[in-house]
Amino acid sequence: MSITLDQVTKHYAGVPVVNDVSLDIGDGEFFVLLGPSGSGKSTLLRAIAGLSGVDHGRISLHGRDVTHIAARKRGVGLVFQNYALFRHMTVADNIEFALRVRHMRARKRRQRREELLRLVALEGMDNRLPAQLSGGQQQRVAVARALAHKPEVLLLDEPFGALDAKIREELRRTIRQVQRELGITTVLVTHDQEEAFAMADRIGIMSQGRLLEVGAPHELYARPATRFVATFLGAANLFLARRTPDGIQVGGKTMGGAERFPAAPEEEVVAVVRPEEVEIAPTREALSSRYLGHGMIDEVAFTGALERLRVRLDEAVHAPLLAAGDGDGGTALQVTRTRLAHRGYEVQQGQSVAVGLRRVHVLPTPLSSFTACARSAALADALTHQPLLAELVERMKTRIAVRVEPALGAADEPLQAQGEFFGTTVIGAEGDNALRAEWLLRRGVKDLLVLPANAAPPQRVLIHWMGEAARSATLAVSASVLRHVPAEAVYLGIFPGHGDSERHSYGMRELLDARSEAQAAHGLDMRTELHFGDAAQELTRRLAEAPAQMLIVGITELKHFAAAFRALLEGGRWPVLIVQRGTS
Amino acid sequence: MSFRKASVLPGFGLTFGFTTFFLSAIVLLPLAALVLSAAAMHWSDFLRVVSSPRALGSYRLSFGASLLAATINVVFGFIIAWTLVRYEFPGRKIIDALIDMPFALPTAVSGIALTTVFAQNGWIGRYLEPLGIKVAYTWLGVTLALTLISMPFAVRAVQPALQEVQRELEEAAETLGAGRLYVLRRIILPTVLPALLTGFTLAFARAVGEYGSVIFIAGNLPMKTEITPLLIVIHLEEFDYQGAAALGVVMLAISFVILLAINLLQAWGRRRHVQASH
Repeated sequence: MSITLDQVTKHYAGVPVVNDVSLDIGDGEFFVLLGPSGSGKSTLLRAIAGLSGVDHGRISLHGRDVTHIAARKRGVGLVFQNYALFRHMTVADNIEFALRVRHMRARKRRQRREELLRLVALEGMDNRLPAQLSGGQQQRVAVARALAHKPEVLLLDEPFGALDAKIREELRRTIRQVQRELGITTVLVTHDQEEAFAMADRIGIMSQGRLLEVGAPHELYARPATRFVATFLGAANLFLARRTPDGIQVGGKTMGGAERFPAAPEEEVVAVVRPEEVEIAPTREALSSRYLGHGMIDEVAFTGALERLRVRLDEAVHAPLLAAGDGDGGTALQVTRTRLAHRGYEVQQGQSVAVGLRRVHVLPTPLSSFTACARSAALADALTHQPLLAELVERMKTRIAVRVEPALGAADEPLQAQGEFFGTTVIGAEGDNALRAEWLLRRGVKDLLVLPANAAPPQRVLIHWMGEAARSATLAVSASVLRHVPAEAVYLGIFPGHGDSERHSYGMRELLDARSEAQAAHGLDMRTELHFGDAAQELTRRLAEAPAQMLIVGITELKHFAAAFRALLEGGRWPVLIVQRGTS
Repeated sequence: MSFRKASVLPGFGLTFGFTTFFLSAIVLLPLAALVLSAAAMHWSDFLRVVSSPRALGSYRLSFGASLLAATINVVFGFIIAWTLVRYEFPGRKIIDALIDMPFALPTAVSGIALTTVFAQNGWIGRYLEPLGIKVAYTWLGVTLALTLISMPFAVRAVQPALQEVQRELEEAAETLGAGRLYVLRRIILPTVLPALLTGFTLAFARAVGEYGSVIFIAGNLPMKTEITPLLIVIHLEEFDYQGAAALGVVMLAISFVILLAINLLQAWGRRRHVQASH
């Protein structure tokens, strides 16, 4: 491996800007770190370059641990957005800078310089000053300068940001060509997904300091695992859908995909439909894909090769659209069509059309939507405005439903609620928390969030589960939460008894298993801690240690809950997310 | 004419007229008067006044101490400016405001304050005394006073230039393998050199003309701690206006030569830049 990052973490003023990032980049690979501004991608790049230190974790370049080695000794080449050329030096002096520092002889320096200028197609520019070059040329000089000392790794920090579109394209090609020619491992940071697609062998997508997903561009586009990636990497329509034994149902109509989830229990899921996978036709019969419903053309925009439409689905189509297009304003379906399709069937604003979906991708993330549940409508409504919940909903681009259960928490009520529970159910912490929680869990609620009125987004999330069967689900839910809050994740393995050596090694094995599963299956990197003793006591102690913590706890049987967590919930001091799996 | 360009300000004729008028009325006219007044002297009288041992001693002190003060200020002004530009720390605004204090203080006050501190029985002077270091009433005191009053010029000249040195330049140099000293020598100093020279010029010019603060701490022993401006005042008090004017003309000439030299040096540096580019 050329670059290996192991749980790299960097805080600014207590907030993790790079949060537990682990990543392997292969020899000669062109890797693109993609993310919105403030996602931590530049900080991560600077950490690899050695320009900013890390608070936790390790960085190795070609197997050499460089975590505590100064930038000048790391052997990397770095290119900045604003070129950062030495303005008082000529092009030649700029390029030879690294060679002069290394006391290379003048003749060899000149040789190398000419070689580099040829590489970036700037022959004969040796004696110009940076100010006399165009932006594109300056950036070429910067690339040549960064390559002069034959670094093992080339790092590019938004190198095209300051250039206009035409030059950008040309420079992209040059850099890609140079990179292939030299076979140098390269990391490029950008917020432009088109650029990422055009250049990357693999893309890593960052949001709020976390590396969410890593993969080949087409893989990430076709099968994103998270809603952030689905909406950030190209446009996407997100539906709240049902996964049933018959297949994926959007708006009550089956859209196929049953073969992938045989015999799974019915579940609420988030479905991704790319704008180009939506088909429109004059009638239902004319559709070549599965019919979703009718809609009205809201907007038609022509963008050269493609036609962009916004289609408002009829009221009768009960397909809750969470987000459309770039993730904002989930009211109208975004559709793109080729010129060919446009010629075949021309549409105008206000026209009614039949809408079909060609391909539906289901996100593997377990948290689909939230339902605020309380004894009265007023209480439930108040709960929807709770700051942490509101923020989660906003960041997850999902919705909150309101559900009133007048008998919530009543002891002698028969085991019956009005219909099934889907998604994550939320209750406020207002006394008798344990009672209400148990009431809901007994009625089949799988994910239950108990939320104190003043809970803020957590800075640390503690994860624990009782019983192996709950592990996978708890990790999946934790990963889903942690993609949307910039918090550090800590798995607490708590085992009964005292930590004698046999138990200790068993516990360590558990911890390692948990960590590798979290990483492999969910891309979630977490710290682990091993404790012995009473789980509820230990968790209470850790939660009381610092403010702004949240607990995610997995249980397989209700008796676990009754035995261990009543006390933990009763005070209502912390947000607690209970994940119940394995119970019949 | 090619140098006349459209601008928001009133036309070239008007602005150039004002420029000439102001320069004439405020700078050239008084200077001319000074030279004329000295020219009324007989040549041998002039020579006698300006080359008397006492006068020569005062030139040495005035220009020597001023050059020394300007040099000190360029070095420490650079460091102060660097601290103010690069670091965010509590009290930064206060220190920034303190820099300008010597501008605002009547120079006599500065002189008295310095004497209080550095006199043989002063706050610091009393501890320096046993070490054999005398500050007040020696050339050291003169230099100290000149350094104090010319310090803001150096800092304020370098500050904006340092602000323009992007941190990225240093980082780029660092990833290319350069150590700190190398970065300072090859990247930072060349970039701020013109500003440093300007700072030096301003500080020097201010120091040469200084009078008020020096006379308190200098002790004014002829040949030893007597600066030229003081000598001029002494001539004036003896109603020897011509002698004073003669000394003034010499000061003017030396200052002019030094400032011109620095300006030429700067222009040469700039030209070298531009030439390298063609």
